[in-house]
Amino acid sequence: MGEFLQFVFLGLSTGAVYAVLASSLVGVYAATGIVNFAQGSIALWAVWAVAALRADGTLVLPVGSVGLGSGPMDRVPAVAIGVASAVVWALLAHLLVFRPLRRAPVLGQVVASVGLMIFLQALVTLRFDTTSLQALPLLPAKVLTFAGAHVNVSDLVLAGAAVAVAALLWAYFRFTRPGIATRAGAEDERAARLMGLSPDRLAAVVWAITGGVCGLVAVLAAPTIGLDPTSYTFYVVPALAAALVGRLASIGLACAAGLLLGSFQTVILWLGTKSWWPGWAQAGLGDALPFVVVIVALFLLGGRIPSRGEVTETRLAAVTIPRLRPAPVALVLAAATAATLLTSGAWRFGVVTSAILTLLAMSLVLLTGYLGQISLATMAFAGTAGFALSKLTTSAHVPFPFSILISAMVATAVGVVVGIPALRIRGAQLAVVTLAAAIAVQSFVFSNPALTPFEGNLIRDPSLFGLSLAVRSGTDLTTARFALTVLVIVALLTLAVARLMAGATGRGFLAVRSNERAAAAAGINVAATKLLGFGLSAFLAGIGGCLIGYSRGQLSDASFTVLAGLTLLAMAYVGGITSVSGAIIAGLIGPLGVLYTFLTQTVEAGRYYQLIAAGGLLVTAVLNPLGLAGTTGHHARAWLSRRRRPPEAPPPGAAAPTGTEPAGTVPTSPEPSHAA
Amino acid sequence: MPPDPLFATDALTVRYGGVLANDRVTLTVDRGEIVGLIGPNGAGKTTLVDAVSGFAPATGAVTLAGRRLDGAGPHRRRAAGLARTWQAGELFTDLTVAQNLAVAIERPGWRTVVGDVFGRRRPDADGIQAALEMLGLGDAADRRPTELSLGQQKLVGVARALVGGTAMLLLDEPAAGLDTHESGQFGAELRRIAATGVGVLLIDHDMTLVLDVCDRVYVLDFGKVIASGPPAAIRDDPAVIAAYLGSAVAE
Repeated sequence: MGEFLQFVFLGLSTGAVYAVLASSLVGVYAATGIVNFAQGSIALWAVWAVAALRADGTLVLPVGSVGLGSGPMDRVPAVAIGVASAVVWALLAHLLVFRPLRRAPVLGQVVASVGLMIFLQALVTLRFDTTSLQALPLLPAKVLTFAGAHVNVSDLVLAGAAVAVAALLWAYFRFTRPGIATRAGAEDERAARLMGLSPDRLAAVVWAITGGVCGLVAVLAAPTIGLDPTSYTFYVVPALAAALVGRLASIGLACAAGLLLGSFQTVILWLGTKSWWPGWAQAGLGDALPFVVVIVALFLLGGRIPSRGEVTETRLAAVTIPRLRPAPVALVLAAATAATLLTSGAWRFGVVTSAILTLLAMSLVLLTGYLGQISLATMAFAGTAGFALSKLTTSAHVPFPFSILISAMVATAVGVVVGIPALRIRGAQLAVVTLAAAIAVQSFVFSNPALTPFEGNLIRDPSLFGLSLAVRSGTDLTTARFALTVLVIVALLTLAVARLMAGATGRGFLAVRSNERAAAAAGINVAATKLLGFGLSAFLAGIGGCLIGYSRGQLSDASFTVLAGLTLLAMAYVGGITSVSGAIIAGLIGPLGVLYTFLTQTVEAGRYYQLIAAGGLLVTAVLNPLGLAGTTGHHARAWLSRRRRPPEAPPPGAAAPTGTEPAGTVPTSPEPSHAA
Repeated sequence: MPPDPLFATDALTVRYGGVLANDRVTLTVDRGEIVGLIGPNGAGKTTLVDAVSGFAPATGAVTLAGRRLDGAGPHRRRAAGLARTWQAGELFTDLTVAQNLAVAIERPGWRTVVGDVFGRRRPDADGIQAALEMLGLGDAADRRPTELSLGQQKLVGVARALVGGTAMLLLDEPAAGLDTHESGQFGAELRRIAATGVGVLLIDHDMTLVLDVCDRVYVLDFGKVIASGPPAAIRDDPAVIAAYLGSAVAE
């Protein structure tokens, strides 16, 4: 019992970070309607800033650094400056990213906040000396004994701080005039403006407060939790789980859930050391916990189809229904084939990776662009298939095309399971659930020594009719045979998905995306359609994951990181989440693809890739909410029609061709109604 | 004994918190019959459509062609032949008018996936065109809903409810947004629809249209049916006049 209590208290530091992040997420959501995935990254910067200051008095800035004093800085001014840096980041996020996006589609906001999260995370890795810096102690190191348990005073202080922060935030929104006005402004911006309030300024106050408290608690907890260039970034996931327990509305529930979650995770860790605990569950279970919490919370508290009077409009980027014309298709295929055959070594590997990423992006186009379900779990689907591929080829000796198919079916099954929450929840909340699922899969499958051996999951090279399709042959890093195999598979599947998008399935998906109630009234089984979308998307991602597996020869937890998945969604969004051409752009600029190869091979700036990608994403998301393919495609078509159309041409509506093929007759300009 | 009606509700009751939005509503519609449902604002007309089409939790029976539909989900009721329209149109803004109708004919599933990828499936263009022409929307097929007037958008909603094997049509204020002339035309279109054997339940505030086109009318007030009968009788019913029609009759 004493030991149990000891672990309960031990989890309070992590729990306190979850709790403060969760309370802040609720606060930001109440003030702006934005689910800020970057909340943890903001705190991450503060932690590292304090560590650097206390090491040698250097204030690290995004560009350059300033020496403050000659030696290590005292704890109080260091913490103050660190917290101030978090406040500055939060205010910058508000002014530069989220305020311009306050009327953007939900997906745009999610992608921008994910972009900010990756950006800060990449910046921390680049700017700070992540190998030698450490978090020096801040809180008293005393130990109390309580009911047989040794309890660190620092853990209690942190828990107390978390409760105090939650109480303060709650009181601010509940009792102060600006707090009440903030809630009013988030509910009806126009009415608030008419009353002489400035929702922007009020939101800025909330951003500053939440940024500061998140920075503070992370800085205080860092000596206990440890310094790590990523951990705080992903603490946002358990924090989001806790925030969802309070339906993103109750700060008290969010705080309590955060503290409990932290304690529960250490208790599970403790149980894992027991002899009776099953070996396969020794690692990863704690990380899978937030997913379980989210699912249970949402199912107990969630509503189903939005009823009359509720706001059901989720605005999304306009859609390009693909029309497969032979000439452009042949052109793209020829270019891809030429790029494959004319390159070698690292460049060919980049081309192959881009082809695979295109397929992964297609899976997002189908699920997110067409069906409107925001999923951050694509890489987890790919990883599941890759894992299955390893077991199938090494243990069961399943031959090549079947190995991929069966593995993709496994991913499909996982996709359908992850899709189940989508029957009840939508938008940013769904993004949270899929992110939690992705983290659960990553820790439970790939970081679990019982399932993934230390040397990674080996994959036997593919061969067809005795012909080796192995990626490597002698000194050849990427064989032409393998590259062409990838190209054929990706091309066939992309064409199949394009036909799907242009056909009855695509129309049904778009109907569900545009209006679930009306879709149900038109006879569409909305639940089954969503699961179909998740299944198809996971199948495509699964094939992509198998191809990644074959291209590497072995898979580890580094192959399908959650971060790579987030970057991919971001790229797909930048490319244009509703079109095939957008997926191709995403493939070219995606992680380890052609752009990355260019950065490493030509300008030797590979380590800046993530920063450039995330920065580019932020700029595009803010300036270009339709995505590159959407906007450039729109401009290109406008230019073409100006050139083609004779002066006496009829108006655009009447000019549409009247053939029976509906796919080709859709005007692709952005809908004015989306902005209404 | 008369044959079973095409469509019937029996003691349909919807309760929102402490409010009885529909109180044991029992009504029938025969094949080819146009039945009106009128009542003051807040009488529970749209709630009845929601309950019948599966969008509001209700107790009591809903029967279509002898088949019990209560308890089934909205899409199952639609597949059984019970279609509805919405006051706000609720069209799919990403799709053209013709595609809006196509969605109601070919519903996504494994079969459409296989058909799209391997087959040369085309939506039933003739059926779609016929439905559009029946409502005077023949030349709007390739336009986006947002390019049409509000009245036309509602007619697209009616057309969408008409395709895909519809036996019974629930129309929630389809004529709001139409001018007097268009409303008269719409009445004629409704008669043509009913002549194909489809049953129609029409909710509208346009009294001229309802009293002109309907074979029978039910009057709803505070969730209860307070009168029913042919239009002429409804027009003179004192209870109805008291609840609702007072001003209309005085005109």
